[in-house]
Amino acid sequence: MTVQPHIAPARPPATQPERGALTIRNLSKSFQIDGAPFQVLRDINLEIRPGEFVSIVGASGCGKSTLLRLIVGLDTDYDGEIHLDGQRVTTTSLDRGLVFQDHRLFPWMTLEENVGLALLNTDIPKHRRAGVVAEHIALVNLTGFEKAYPHQLSGGMAQRAAIARALAASPKLLLLDEPLGALDALTRIHVQTELQRIWMQQRSTMLMVTHDVEEAVYLSDRILIMAPNPGRIRRIVEVDLPHPRERGSAQLHRLRDEILAELTGAPVTRSLIPFPAKETHS
Amino acid sequence: MTRLLKNSLVRFSLGLAAPVALLLLWSAQAEPEGARSLAFASLDAIAAALVQLAASGQLLRDALVSLSRAVTGLVFGGVLGMAVGIAMASSPLVDRLAGPLYHSIRQVPLLGWLPLIGLWLGNGDDARLLIVSLAAFYPTVLNTYEGFAHVEKRYLEVGRLYDFSPAQRFRHILWPAALPLVLTGIAQALAFAWIGTIGTEILLGSGSGLGVTMATAQAQQRVDIIIVAICASGLLGFFVNHVLVLLRRQILRWQGAHQ
Repeated sequence: MTVQPHIAPARPPATQPERGALTIRNLSKSFQIDGAPFQVLRDINLEIRPGEFVSIVGASGCGKSTLLRLIVGLDTDYDGEIHLDGQRVTTTSLDRGLVFQDHRLFPWMTLEENVGLALLNTDIPKHRRAGVVAEHIALVNLTGFEKAYPHQLSGGMAQRAAIARALAASPKLLLLDEPLGALDALTRIHVQTELQRIWMQQRSTMLMVTHDVEEAVYLSDRILIMAPNPGRIRRIVEVDLPHPRERGSAQLHRLRDEILAELTGAPVTRSLIPFPAKETHS
Repeated sequence: MTRLLKNSLVRFSLGLAAPVALLLLWSAQAEPEGARSLAFASLDAIAAALVQLAASGQLLRDALVSLSRAVTGLVFGGVLGMAVGIAMASSPLVDRLAGPLYHSIRQVPLLGWLPLIGLWLGNGDDARLLIVSLAAFYPTVLNTYEGFAHVEKRYLEVGRLYDFSPAQRFRHILWPAALPLVLTGIAQALAFAWIGTIGTEILLGSGSGLGVTMATAQAQQRVDIIIVAICASGLLGFFVNHVLVLLRRQILRWQGAHQ
């Protein structure tokens, strides 16, 4: 990776109307468990700017995935308000994309058919769709695998294909629910780099849930640290470093240690020997 | 010993041992002077019967009649069975209305309907077609229902994300996801339809068909003809099933070799 101190957005913001501003106000969510209400999310307030990359980290069971399902509209039973560009979220929409932890490509379709599905109900004219599909397959570096079925792709390739499918409909907001959680360490680093490149190229708003603090620090403009029982935002950390970032940067490592300490409740110790990142579940 | 069993020539010879023994035993029983010569037919006689039935065109005609009867029943029963299975899986109301009736009627052995149907429709082709269609209907309903009822929710969620209409959901998610089980149902339906065909042909015994020939040969004590008809029905069943297996492999090529 080359070091570039400051890189201008691929497209000047002036040509693109402001889009993908997410506003969440007083959001709460409860499930019924054995007849008793169980609060998963309490009083979430959040503003995400257009084009921003925001990550959510936190212990298992702090309602991170539930929050994404509410924002994308798969679950509409909540208190409070979710607005995207001023419009209240009431159901799913092509404005909001979601990448799941499991790639969820349809096994009975080839890669290009899977990506093409995302365009079925867009107003992109039919004759241009094949081009859009090819463009997005190229974006995730899978050109040549158009006719492959999902079982013929590796885990990392399938997850990149899922990202291509989600981006094909040009959502204003892309939600990522632990998109790289199921990948092995090396593949994950590779796809992280890809994801950063894609985000810099597209500049759509992205909101990612992850267990991997290092990944959050590497990719995000801001990191939400959530606490469980009930799920709430504990702290918001700004990562004020330009993209693309240097993975080995000392600042990133310090930030990672700080956030890990916050999550595990351990005091921050500045050691000369950096400890490997550990993930603990409370 | 296990290593020896991996040798293909050894495996082939071992598989052949039982049939050859059976044939030898059969030939011994069929000795012209033997006490049981009437109940068995010599291999020569069977071969002669085969040549005669083949040359007169009766064998081909019988095979075609039986096959088309089974396939017609498969189409009627299969199409109706898919429709009912899909309706039951997609609507709890239909499931509640039709489910209990379907599951209780299914308990009656297929040929148990024959006296009633024979009384209503006579002993002709209509009665046979109805039984064969019914034979194909049961397994198709059951498997289609299972296939459609258990389409994974995670795929349906993807459809919601991309604003699928009900028709798109059916075409792109429900149908392909259920297809493996639907095809399993069709394969079972074919086996059942074949049993129903030969069974009703033997029992109703009019017109033509492999089963009819068997019944007539039984009345005439022509063991040689019975054997030829039995072999023909077995081979035909095997052949049609094999075609279905090849079709299935082609249709479900997305599953990959491991499944």
